[in-house]
Amino acid sequence: MILQIKDLKKSFNGNEVLKGINFKIDKGEVVVIIGPSGSGKTTLLRNINFLESADSGIMKFQDEEINLVNPTKKEKLLVRRQTAMVFQNYNLFKNKTALENITEGLIFGQGIKKEQAVNLAEMALDKVGLLDKKDFYPSQLSGGQQQRIGIARATVLNPALVLFDEPTSALDPELVGTVLQDMKRLADEGQTMIVVTHQMSFAKNVATRVIFFDKGEIIEEGKPSEIFEHPQNIRTKEFLSVIAEDY
Amino acid sequence: MFDMKFAVSAFPQILTALKVTVYLSVIAVLIGTILAVLIVIIREKKIIVLNQIAAFLVSFIRGTPVIVQMYVVYYGLPQLLLILKSNGFDVNPNGLSALAIAITAYALNAMANLSESIKSAYHSVDYRQYEAAVSVGMTPFRAMIRIVIPQLIANLIPNYANFFIDLTKDTSLVYNIGIIEIMAKANIISSIGFKYLETYLDALIIYVVICWVFARIFRFSEVIVRKKVFQN
Repeated sequence: MILQIKDLKKSFNGNEVLKGINFKIDKGEVVVIIGPSGSGKTTLLRNINFLESADSGIMKFQDEEINLVNPTKKEKLLVRRQTAMVFQNYNLFKNKTALENITEGLIFGQGIKKEQAVNLAEMALDKVGLLDKKDFYPSQLSGGQQQRIGIARATVLNPALVLFDEPTSALDPELVGTVLQDMKRLADEGQTMIVVTHQMSFAKNVATRVIFFDKGEIIEEGKPSEIFEHPQNIRTKEFLSVIAEDY
Repeated sequence: MFDMKFAVSAFPQILTALKVTVYLSVIAVLIGTILAVLIVIIREKKIIVLNQIAAFLVSFIRGTPVIVQMYVVYYGLPQLLLILKSNGFDVNPNGLSALAIAITAYALNAMANLSESIKSAYHSVDYRQYEAAVSVGMTPFRAMIRIVIPQLIANLIPNYANFFIDLTKDTSLVYNIGIIEIMAKANIISSIGFKYLETYLDALIIYVVICWVFARIFRFSEVIVRKKVFQN
């Protein structure tokens, strides 16, 4: 078991966005979270990465038990240095080149020497086919290229867990495929990941488990075939019936 | 009649006061910048009590003319030192030079105005840049130093330049407390021969040139920083 969440609750201005989430992920799993916009999927990922503070909840990360309400600085760093996040809007550092976007975290987050960090970053860029863009700034790259660099940045050190927050939502349709290919490659390599997405084909073909999330709750979870072909809950059925394939 | 000869002969004499104007502007803005950063940290971190005091101070200073602030410091600071002395502190209320008082007043003014500029430049940096930095394992301090502050500086330079140039022009008021800067020098020389237009035109030319030079320096810095930070 890599990560376990117990009774995670989060409200914004009295609006309960997460209503006591219990959730577990094992090594090598690809968990895809689907559900309507505003159902709390992103908030869940942000809580795992401590980008939001929870109202209640416990997180067990590897062997460490962490109170999600008041995590210490050490606990935050421990989790952040062993997990990685890929953001909807890429969030590449605007003042850094593609290469530096990767080396910054390695040098100043993980304490790796510069020379080694550059080697690792170049290998990561090569994997996503963008080594020739290493000296480009984010403003000089397309959305798809930025997101693939975001993926390279997140996975350069093979973290214990990668969190994908709607990684293709901000992309033009023709750029979605390349990003999904990179994600599929990672899944094939055994990378543990949680993916929030509206890409149903990815959920069907790559996920080891699909979670349907609605109104701050996990409504239903199971293998992709179970969720997509035989959904048990009426809300899951309704959601799947109204979404277009690969919305 | 306009006396060209007088204007030309007065120019180098007035120019000797330029160093006071530049010194006052640069030192006041430097001190003001340091204080402004502290104010921004207090306000952004919402440190209780200090946040309210800082907000009041900023609003108060921004809402009053600099000449009034200067007089308040001029007459108030020695009295404050007197109170401190009577409470056992080793201070000399009579040892304050007019220049020290002017620097204090202008630095406080810079603090209030620049704190708003810095705050606005800070908010113009997408908060997700910070989130991305901490999510790759940087400490909050490192995330600020490596990612947020370079972008903040690039956004700050135009407002900072405007304020600096405004303050340089406003130093023409310090002759009111006896400091011999460009304006005071022009006043003194004009009163000798009762030729006011000549000396004020000299002062005007010096202000135009110095402000133009400062504007070019800041513009050049902005281009360099933006190129370095954003490649544009």
